[in-house]
Amino acid sequence: MTRGLLLNAGGDSVEGEQPRRHGRVSWMQSIPAYLYVAPAYVLFAAFFLRPLVELCYLSLTNWTGLGPKVLIDLDNYRELAADPRFWQSFQHNVIWMLAAVVVPTSIGLFLAVLLVRSSIRGRLIYRTIYFLPQVLSSVVVSVIWRWIYNPTYGAINSVLRAVGLDSLAKGWLGDSATALPALFIAWSWVHYGFCMVIFVAALQAIDETYYDAAKVDGANSLQQFWHVTLPSIYRPLTTVILLTVISAFQVFDLVYIITKGGPARATLVLSVFMYDNAFRYSRVGYGAAVGVALGIVIFLVSLVYMRVRSRLEAR
Amino acid sequence: MSRGDKEASLLRLARRAGHLSTSLSALLFSLFVLIPFAWVIFTAVKSRWEVARNPLGLPADWQWANFAEAWRVGHFDRYFLNSIYVVVPTVLIVLVFSTLAAFAFSQFRFKAKGLLFAVLLVALTVPLDILIIPLFYDLLGMGLLNTHWALILPQAAATLPFGILLLRSFMEDVPKEILDAARIDGCSNSRLLYHIVIPLSRPALASLLVFTFMWTWNQFLLPVVLVQDDLMRTLPVGLNYFQGRYSTDIPLLMAGAAICFLPIVIVYVIFQRQFIKGIAAGALK
Repeated sequence: MTRGLLLNAGGDSVEGEQPRRHGRVSWMQSIPAYLYVAPAYVLFAAFFLRPLVELCYLSLTNWTGLGPKVLIDLDNYRELAADPRFWQSFQHNVIWMLAAVVVPTSIGLFLAVLLVRSSIRGRLIYRTIYFLPQVLSSVVVSVIWRWIYNPTYGAINSVLRAVGLDSLAKGWLGDSATALPALFIAWSWVHYGFCMVIFVAALQAIDETYYDAAKVDGANSLQQFWHVTLPSIYRPLTTVILLTVISAFQVFDLVYIITKGGPARATLVLSVFMYDNAFRYSRVGYGAAVGVALGIVIFLVSLVYMRVRSRLEAR
Repeated sequence: MSRGDKEASLLRLARRAGHLSTSLSALLFSLFVLIPFAWVIFTAVKSRWEVARNPLGLPADWQWANFAEAWRVGHFDRYFLNSIYVVVPTVLIVLVFSTLAAFAFSQFRFKAKGLLFAVLLVALTVPLDILIIPLFYDLLGMGLLNTHWALILPQAAATLPFGILLLRSFMEDVPKEILDAARIDGCSNSRLLYHIVIPLSRPALASLLVFTFMWTWNQFLLPVVLVQDDLMRTLPVGLNYFQGRYSTDIPLLMAGAAICFLPIVIVYVIFQRQFIKGIAAGALK
C-alpha cells in the first residue's frame, strides 16, 4: 500500500474552491494559519524535504560516506546510463509493473465482484480473509513464501514429488529463470487485497437501479459487468492501476529480504540496486543517483498517467 | 414435460451451477490465503525430524515448546516493546500535526497556500525508501542513530502529507452553516476545531490512525538501516535477524514468524471493519 493513495483527492486544486471574497490576504493576516501548519511543515521540512534536497546533491558527488564530498558534475548519471546493472534493474521493475497491472488488479476486481454482486453467504468472513495478507509485515510474508519455495521440504516441491512430478521440483528462488516470478507471486499474494478493498467500496457505491435497467434489457451477468460495472468504477479502477504501478517501481522489502537481487542479479530492482551501492559498495553518490532516477521515474509516470486520464475524461 | 418447463428447469440448473462456481471460487481463494498460515503453524509445532520426514502433513506430536523456545532465544519481547515505542509516538504526532494543518487548509486563506499544498501533492509520489541514504547521514550527524527517534521522526514526516490531504478533504465537507453559526456566537478558532471539526472528522481520523499504524508497524527499510543495535530493533527487523540466525531450524523459525503475525492478525480480526472501512475511505475520498 502506498502513500500515493490520495493522488486522486489532491487533483482538485486548493485555490479554486473558495471565492476570494476580500481580495488578497496579507502576511499579517496569514499568521494564524501559519501557526496551525507550522508543526507539520517543520517536521516535514527537516525529515523529508531536507533529505530530498540532500539526495539530489549527493547524486552529483563521488562521496563514499567518509571524507569530503567532491562535486563531479553529472558523471554519476552518465555512468548510470551506461551501466548494464541499472538497465537490468529497470527492466525488472518494468516487467514487475506490467505483471502487477494485470494479475493482482484482476484478482482484486474478480473477488470484489464476487463479494458485492453475488448472493454468496458469509461475505464478511471472506472479505476479512482475503484482506488478511495486507496487514502482515513483509518479513512475515517472506518467511512464509521462503518456506513454500524451500527446495527440499517446501510445499510446492513436496506436492510435486507426492504426485510423481519429481522432475519439475527445483529451487524456485535459486534459479534465475524462476526467481523473479516467484517473488512476484509472493508480492501479489499481498497486493491483490488492497485492490479488492478499493473495488468493494467502489462497487457498493453503484446505484442498484442501473443493474435493474440492464436486467430489464435482458443483459446477462457478463454484459452487466461490461456495461454497468466497469464504466461505473472507471475512476477507482484507474486509481488502483496507478497505485499498483507506483508500488511496483518501489518494491524493495521482499526482494531485499528473500533474494537480495540474486541469483546473478536475476531479481535486482532499482531500490535494491540503490541500497547496494550506498550501503554495501560505499558508493553513496552513485546510490543517490539511482535514488533520484527512481524518484523521477515514479514522478513522471504518475504525472503522465494523471494527465492522460483527465484528458480522456474530458472527452 | 412441455418445452417451457424444460427451458425453465435448464435455466434453474444453469443458475445453480453459477451459484456453485461462485461459492467454489470464493472458497478456493480463501484457502489460497489461509493454507500458508495454517502450514506455518503446523510446521512450528513439529520437531525438526518430523519436518524433514513429513513436511506437508499434520503434526503427529505437537511440540508447543517450540514457541517458548523461539520466544526465549528470539528476544521478541524486546522487539515488541520497541515496535510499540515507535508506533505510538508516530501515530500521535501524525494525528495531531495533520489535524492542525488540515484545519488551516480547509478554513483559512493565507499566503503561499497553493504552494504549500502543491508540495504535499508532490511528496505523495516520492517514496520514503529513496530518502534512506541522506536520512542515515543526517541522523548520524544529529546523534540520533540507534534511537527510537531515528524511526519516529522520518516516518511521521513521510506520513504527514498523506494525513493532511486526507483530513483536509473531509474537513472541507463540514457544513459552512455550522461553522458560521459558531463563529457568530464568538467561538474561537481553536474551540471551533476542538468542538466541531474534530468530532465531525472522526471517520477520517480513524482511517488515518489505521494507515499510520500499519505503515509504521510494518516499516522495514528505516529500521534496517537506522538501527543496528539489537536492543533497538523493531519486530519486522528482529524477525529478519532471527530468520538469518535460525534459517536451518525451520520449526523454530516458523514459531518466530507465528509469534510476530498472531497478535497483528488478532487485532485485525477484531477491528477488521475499521481497518477495511478506513482504507476504503482514504482511497475513495
